[in-house]
Amino acid sequence: MDRQEILEKTIKIIHDCVPELEGVELKEDTVVNTDMGMDSMNFILVICKLEAEFNARIPNRLWSKLSTLGEVVDAIEKYRQ
Amino acid sequence: MRFSSFANMIGHFAERTPDAPALRYEEGGEARTMSFSQLAEAVARRTGELRREGKTCLGVFADGSMPCVVEIFAAVGAGMQVVLLDESVPTPLLRGLIPYTDVDKLWGDRELCDELSTSLTRGVRDGGGKMLFFTSGTTERSKAVVLTEQSLCASAYNGATLLPLYPEDTLLCMLPIAHVFGFVCGVLWGLSCGACVALGRGARHYMDDCAFFRPTAISLVPMLLGFLLKQNAFNDELRLMLIGAGDCPEALINAAKAHGVRVCFGYGLTETSSGVALSIGDDPYAMTVCPDDTITLAPDGEILIRGRTCMMKGYYKCPEDTNIALAGGALHTGDLGRFDEKERLFIVGRKKDMLVLPDGTKVFLPEAEAELGKLLGGGDFALALKDDRVTLAIHGDERSDAAIFDAIAPYQETRPIGQRVAGLSRQREPLPRTATGKIKRWELNTRL
Repeated sequence: MDRQEILEKTIKIIHDCVPELEGVELKEDTVVNTDMGMDSMNFILVICKLEAEFNARIPNRLWSKLSTLGEVVDAIEKYRQ
Repeated sequence: MRFSSFANMIGHFAERTPDAPALRYEEGGEARTMSFSQLAEAVARRTGELRREGKTCLGVFADGSMPCVVEIFAAVGAGMQVVLLDESVPTPLLRGLIPYTDVDKLWGDRELCDELSTSLTRGVRDGGGKMLFFTSGTTERSKAVVLTEQSLCASAYNGATLLPLYPEDTLLCMLPIAHVFGFVCGVLWGLSCGACVALGRGARHYMDDCAFFRPTAISLVPMLLGFLLKQNAFNDELRLMLIGAGDCPEALINAAKAHGVRVCFGYGLTETSSGVALSIGDDPYAMTVCPDDTITLAPDGEILIRGRTCMMKGYYKCPEDTNIALAGGALHTGDLGRFDEKERLFIVGRKKDMLVLPDGTKVFLPEAEAELGKLLGGGDFALALKDDRVTLAIHGDERSDAAIFDAIAPYQETRPIGQRVAGLSRQREPLPRTATGKIKRWELNTRL
């Protein structure tokens, strides 16, 4: 799976988990943690779903340091098993 | 029971109920149990190792795991100063906090400890028994609150007197134990009652920890309560919920009660080793003052706390701040309160210029706005909460949103993500101010 596919699936999972973002365009530099109507709890939900979807395990200490959509995708790429 | 030390507390139950479960945790996907006698042995063994090593100040990246809890108890038992660190704090900030608190040894994630090893110091004299917790807010320079194992044990006793747990209870600790509310109300409250403490598995398992550990009691912050309710994550055995570290909307409390759970609310500060008042009746906002604490109200309604056993020793290396906070022998909380005819305490607002976020962390506005002012080049702006998110209310700035966010990027990078500016609110009118130019926070909040 290449980076573009991960990005597209990630965007779909974010939209599934946070219905409020339906129709909102998400780009690599979009801050997805606290911006765009996503609170930190929704963000945790998204990361859990992403880890399950991509069989990844992002170290706990990095969770709260992820900010943009691009950083999330980078972390998934790096920590896929 | 009132205990004078962690060793005293663990030893008491290890002697009387050695096989009773003290800790429950996950290992290899299975739930494991550590009895009080096993916990006492593990702590004693590690205490000996740390003593032989001869270090004086341990910085713990408190991940809330079983080894982490044992390490904290052991280090205190070994006479070390213990500094509770949050691994989610940006690394540049950690590089400053480690020398500030005289840490000479780190415990936690190996990669992170290695990365920060160059910041270690030669240690500290006379740090024995001290535990340093950082205030939950962000200031230009984070302050460490000096507590002791005595004050923390006393706080657990204080809470348990009003809200006892029993040996058959399981208290689930989901909160970060680097914060005093998580450490006292997530761990010590249970152990001091001889109950079992289930150590939550971190954010990854927020949704299934209740199903995994089957707790009867749990301590939560409002944001986590809302999340768990939304995910329908609570188990049937749960009977008691303690909410603290922030304002909790009535709708959330009612939703929790609808699960048949007793919901109590606690009020306290890091400076008081956690809770000083708890609601124990039907009204979750009507709080009874804990037995070791005395609360009075200043003429302007500010809550003043005198604590015989639980009060901090001061802010680490900040004697001036300590003197201000403890002026006249009472802690000036910055919170506004009132008492009803039954002498129950109600929190009615805040005097201090700070935002309290739904997860209990705080943003101190004077420092934050001064920094933003430098980056924005002045202007008419203020920080406020809108839909529970930190929002920059701004008037008369012609720059685009993107340009404003570019300008404040250095501020954002040094803040934990939850405390960063999450949105802008353009104001058509100038921001509401007093005659002396101070922002009228209440009016601004109403406007937003």
